[in-house]
Amino acid sequence: MSNDVVVETDGLTKKYGDIVALESLSIQVRRGQILGFIGPNGAGKTTTIKILVGQARPTRGSASIAGVDCVNDAQRIKELVGYMPDTFGTYDNMRVHEYLDFFGAAFGIPRRDRILRVEEVLETAGATYMRDRFVESLSHGMKQRVAIARTLLHDPEVLILDEPANGLDPQARIEMRELLLQLASMGKTLIVTSHILPELSRICDQVAIITHGKLRAFGALNEILREVGQQRRIEIQLLDADSADRAAGIVRQNVEKDADVVASSTEFTVRFQTSHSEQDLGALLSQLVTAGVTVSQFREEAMDLEDTFLSITQQTAS
Amino acid sequence: MNNPIIQREVVGFLRSPWSLALQFIPAFLLAGLVIMRWPSAGQIDLAGSQARQVFELFGYGILTAIILLVPIFPATTIVLERQQGTLALLLNSPMTNWSIYFGKLIGSLICVLLPLFMSFPAAAAWYAMTGVDLVEHLGRLYVVLLMATIQYATLALLVSSFTSSTDAALRITFSMVLLLAVASLAPFQLVQGGQGITVWIAEWIRSLSPIPALMEIVGRGDVTAQGLVTKTGFFGRFIMMAAVTSLYFIVHGAVRLRQTLFDRPRPQGVMTQDRSHLGQWGRRMVFLVDPQRRTAAIGDWTNPVLVKEFRSRRFGRSQWMFRLVAASAVLSLLLAYTATTETIRWGVETIGGMMVVLQVGLISILTPSLAAGLISSEHENGGWKLLMMTPLSATRIVIGKLLSVGWTVGLTLMATLPGYVVMMAIKPVLQQQVLYVLVCLLLTAVLSVTLSAAVSSLFRRTAPATITCYALLTLLLAVPMLIWLARDNPFGHSLVENVLTISPMAAAFTAMDVPGFVHYDLLPLNWYLIGAASIVCCVVLGVQTWRLTRPL
Repeated sequence: MSNDVVVETDGLTKKYGDIVALESLSIQVRRGQILGFIGPNGAGKTTTIKILVGQARPTRGSASIAGVDCVNDAQRIKELVGYMPDTFGTYDNMRVHEYLDFFGAAFGIPRRDRILRVEEVLETAGATYMRDRFVESLSHGMKQRVAIARTLLHDPEVLILDEPANGLDPQARIEMRELLLQLASMGKTLIVTSHILPELSRICDQVAIITHGKLRAFGALNEILREVGQQRRIEIQLLDADSADRAAGIVRQNVEKDADVVASSTEFTVRFQTSHSEQDLGALLSQLVTAGVTVSQFREEAMDLEDTFLSITQQTAS
Repeated sequence: MNNPIIQREVVGFLRSPWSLALQFIPAFLLAGLVIMRWPSAGQIDLAGSQARQVFELFGYGILTAIILLVPIFPATTIVLERQQGTLALLLNSPMTNWSIYFGKLIGSLICVLLPLFMSFPAAAAWYAMTGVDLVEHLGRLYVVLLMATIQYATLALLVSSFTSSTDAALRITFSMVLLLAVASLAPFQLVQGGQGITVWIAEWIRSLSPIPALMEIVGRGDVTAQGLVTKTGFFGRFIMMAAVTSLYFIVHGAVRLRQTLFDRPRPQGVMTQDRSHLGQWGRRMVFLVDPQRRTAAIGDWTNPVLVKEFRSRRFGRSQWMFRLVAASAVLSLLLAYTATTETIRWGVETIGGMMVVLQVGLISILTPSLAAGLISSEHENGGWKLLMMTPLSATRIVIGKLLSVGWTVGLTLMATLPGYVVMMAIKPVLQQQVLYVLVCLLLTAVLSVTLSAAVSSLFRRTAPATITCYALLTLLLAVPMLIWLARDNPFGHSLVENVLTISPMAAAFTAMDVPGFVHYDLLPLNWYLIGAASIVCCVVLGVQTWRLTRPL
């Protein structure tokens, strides 16, 4: 294991009777990285998280955080990990500072340090103004901030956040995104699950896509997009309808025979999908220019995480 | 039945396994009673005494069942709708608040009256045995039971409209039902024999309880009157009081079912320290312990779970503890005062018996409400997952939780002890008896706490855990007393003694030589049984906690 790797799973498998919840999951996350853990409901995300935080035992395989075995040394894992489950865990009639004080005490932070630490984490999470509010009276967005503050109390190396942006309004989502980036800049390693994929695509260094308990894609976002998006979407912008027709003819001669090449006489564009390489596409552009077609833009349409996710889940389903 | 709420409530109830239990258990128990006293071997009971014996036992039994079972369904019905968000949907529908209310009330009544309907065949058998009059006995008894059911159901619905959690609804409803049924008898006990407006008021307060009316019907005379003056007419008075109170509960409950129920701002959390000097001074004058004062951080050597339990319980915080302890001390001193002024007329033993009832009552009401949610509420609010992510060991969590309940119950019980000191001063030979009584009470408290905590570890929701705790404690405390009420007729001495052996309250009564319990020998066997039961509960709690904390 590289010294830089903080979270590592190797062939992680979990079975409940005949049901395979997780099958041979192997991932590595480096220090200070944000891993987006994506999958539809029942894909095995929560099972993986439970194993990582020591709340479930794998049937096979191993998982470690900062070199500590998640299965056999659950007590040490608790010190290394800050876990924010998808439920908040409210205690009635407790104020925010009392709530954080309790968890601080539960983590064995000495009283004097704890008083300061509670203020620090409230500030980091942007929740200082809530300190005297009753926890149950907070809005959903406020609770998420308090939950982040709670996970930071014992200064863990790794933060595992289950759906932190779920149910937040757009403004709160932007703030949450900034908060997560701030935590990563503090050197924390983050594992974040989310259904709101555009949110993840903006902050994640790495993405793991899991369906039916199997890891379908893992790596840097751009790499996955390239891996999954074998068919590139290209758009050529021209100056008039005549040029668009001529360009469409040249494109048809150069791409796959079954490729769907669409010329728009109103937008003056030609759109097509191809699996050709960068060199092939460069040759195509050169041919267009040589043929006297005035090309104003030749660009590849970016596939986003949502497209990738849908593409993978559709492939799995088929 | 056009009201969709009635249909939904009744169908939902009939689909649950509870409905089957509520139909068959009363039917089997009552059939057993009929068989026990059915004339046999060619003997005919012309006086009808056997029928009246079982009729009396049935009356007390079914009233106890009503007091304990009726509040469960209506007390949780509105609060559950609110928690699930369906109350807002109902209030947004074209249904009026009155139709929603009556839908809830009638639906609940149909469910809770089921056991009463199941008693009709047994009642017919007693009538056939002769000795029980159709109108004078059976008719009036069913009217009393029906009115008590309506009174408690409407009260429970009203409480349900105020509370925000099911366990709080159950706790408050049970306390108020016991206040209406039992505590309402107390004022007359203190002022009887006198004259004037105080006695008149105490008599009417006593009429809030169905017990005097029931005793009048079964021919037991006048409850709590000590034979000074036997009054009659409680049947009519109770009907009147039950009708008036039920009407009030209905109107108030229905009026509360409006959109304004949700029109509450979020508390902004203004702390005393952030107020002006004048504001801080004002609050210092009003509060012994200011609930709005910012609390200090948890000490390094304190179990954080213990502090968390106190802070997260509305009635756990210092100001409420003071109030509870003060109320218990006042009650105890009131009894001590009675002990000194009424010793000759009542006897120290009777007053000791009343103190035991007070303390056991406190334990049985307080403990399940505090302990039944110890672990189940953690599952319910998602706190268990978080606790499991802290380095706190399962043992430390459980000890913190048990201590939080033990401390509250212990303090409350301690506040009731001055009465015993007065009794020992009056009659020094009572010293050993009082010591025995205290052991019985201590064991009762230990069993209640461990039983409630064990039950809590078996459930994932607090409401069913609370109901189960109350049911088990009732089984332990009230059922032996019902059997004792029917001592000699129809139950024999040894059977009564055996049944009383499981009751710590009966053991305390025998230790105190309370009239009616002198001839039973329950100690020390009762202590061994209660001690063993507490150990079993601790084992269940330990095993369950271990199961809940280990990785799956």
